Amino acid sequence: MAEKITLYNLPDLKNAADDAIANYLNSIKFKQSHSMIDVRLALGYSSFILAAACALWDYKLGWDATKLYTAIAVAIYTVLSGALTVWTWKVEQGTIYQGKAPSGDDLFIASETKKMEPVYRLKIAIQDKSTGKIKAFKISKPFAEFFNESGFFVPKPFQEFLATNISVVGKADSKRIQAASEKLLNENPELLSAVLNAGSEKEAEATGTEKKAGGKRRKA
Amino acid sequence: MHNTLNRFQSVFGFFTTVAFVLGCFIAATDFYAERAPSGTLKVSNLQVVKGRPHYYSSVQEEYAIIKFSLDADLSHLFTWNTKQVFVYVTAEWPAPKSGVNATNEAVIWDSIITNPSADHLKNIGPATMKKLKKSAQGKTIAPDRGILSLRNQRPKYQITHPSRKIADTENVKLKLHYNVQPWFGLLTWNQNQDIGFWKAIKGGVSAPFSLPSIKKKN
Amino acid sequence: MLSMLQKPRQAAAQVLNFALILSSAFMMWKGLSVISDSPSPIVVVLSGSMEPAFQRGDLLFLWNRNLLQDTSVGEVVVYNVKDKDIPIVHRVVRKYGEGEDAKLLTKGDNNPSDDTELYARGQDYLVRKDIIGSVVGYIPFVGYVTILLSEHPWLKTVMLGVMGLFAILQRE
Repeated sequence: MAEKITLYNLPDLKNAADDAIANYLNSIKFKQSHSMIDVRLALGYSSFILAAACALWDYKLGWDATKLYTAIAVAIYTVLSGALTVWTWKVEQGTIYQGKAPSGDDLFIASETKKMEPVYRLKIAIQDKSTGKIKAFKISKPFAEFFNESGFFVPKPFQEFLATNISVVGKADSKRIQAASEKLLNENPELLSAVLNAGSEKEAEATGTEKKAGGKRRKA
Repeated sequence: MHNTLNRFQSVFGFFTTVAFVLGCFIAATDFYAERAPSGTLKVSNLQVVKGRPHYYSSVQEEYAIIKFSLDADLSHLFTWNTKQVFVYVTAEWPAPKSGVNATNEAVIWDSIITNPSADHLKNIGPATMKKLKKSAQGKTIAPDRGILSLRNQRPKYQITHPSRKIADTENVKLKLHYNVQPWFGLLTWNQNQDIGFWKAIKGGVSAPFSLPSIKKKN
Repeated sequence: MLSMLQKPRQAAAQVLNFALILSSAFMMWKGLSVISDSPSPIVVVLSGSMEPAFQRGDLLFLWNRNLLQDTSVGEVVVYNVKDKDIPIVHRVVRKYGEGEDAKLLTKGDNNPSDDTELYARGQDYLVRKDIIGSVVGYIPFVGYVTILLSEHPWLKTVMLGVMGLFAILQRE
């Protein structure tokens, strides 16, 4: 990732981080699956081909001769677009990585950012290979902690963030796991001075969201 | 650079959305503005002459010249969303052969009445324009322009029939119509029934009459 | 650009975004066509012959079904004349007979005489099938862009190019 990112461009930051997740996980022997995006591509391209065919027969044969076919094509196109919308909203839900951990568990990662807030938010879902149970939770990290001032991505803190918070990633790359205290200090050097004032809002916030997210079952 | 473009795009997109929604609201107010038009049409003079469709044509056709008097109150049609009202009078008569249930309809007179907000668009000479603008100085809506009173008005169009014959036609009626052209929204015409706040024209149809036989043009 | 080639799915998804914008716009247009039964449900006014009602660049919405009644006198219709490319927007001023074979004569509100001169050689009247729709809705001015585009074709190329470039280079 030698690419330089404009730091105030949130979508660019998110895209770079999204790409980094795939690179990292694939490098530690995760097997990426593309089934979600494949369904999207299939739905999208088939509707595009339909529209192209419609344009072609309209151009060649004129409106009156092809009215009926055009009406049918419009109906099918509407259904396909509807399906595509439902698929991206309800099923993909911003999923940027889908794959099998070396341990055999399935991992789904969706990412999002909120306007005017430079924080990378991940929704994680892990499906246990033996029980089939899904564990879902949310984690987040400010972009400033894994992009340096000149706009270059810094892999180490990012990978530690993933390995520490996502059990299946930690299992596959244990040397990146940080001890909780070390992590806290690393993340917030200011805290050094006010260490025990801790339980720190950061931690409290993190556990809070975790609880909330845990209850919500993620459709996969 | 593409941040500037993004911003321009979203500002422009937002602007068009707002403008469009605002336009739709304005258009919707039409339905809440009462319309109660009325009119009285009387035929004052009838004539059928022979003539040619244009100077170089050798074809002879019959033309009906129908003079009429009209009193109409279309003042309700002028609202803030009215650009112009197109008023027209048609002659209507059934097909000559009995058993054929077909009608013939032709405009014999029309007039474009602009709301003052659209006066500047009218295609008239500078002097007339000055007069027109002065007639509604300071106003954007001029309902008084919807009050029409014509006496023994010459038709703008002499009408004929594809058969080239129109003399002695029976059961002809004159009818008053209007078409409201909005600044934004739906074009509307006079209705046959009341719809919501819009009433059908009260009157607006002449008594049936027959066209006379040909009078040779001198 | 290079990184896109290494990830064919991501590249395909980005191209798809652009393709879907185009095809959805096209299919919406066709959907309008199907609903209104008109090959061209929205037209831009090109001449001043209906002034002051319609100016150049105004957008007109057409309806081409006769659900309640025939196309009748007083309606503003858009019609095609054989061997002429550009459809004309004028008002029906005479109608003889009923149904498909009714003879229709049109005239521009702002023109001194009727359209007989505009019709094909030997044609005195229009019939219903010459008409591609009656005007039912109106939005001022916004069609002017298409007049600019057709009068300055290079603008079209530039716009399409810029749009395509941004859609492909930019995610989301």
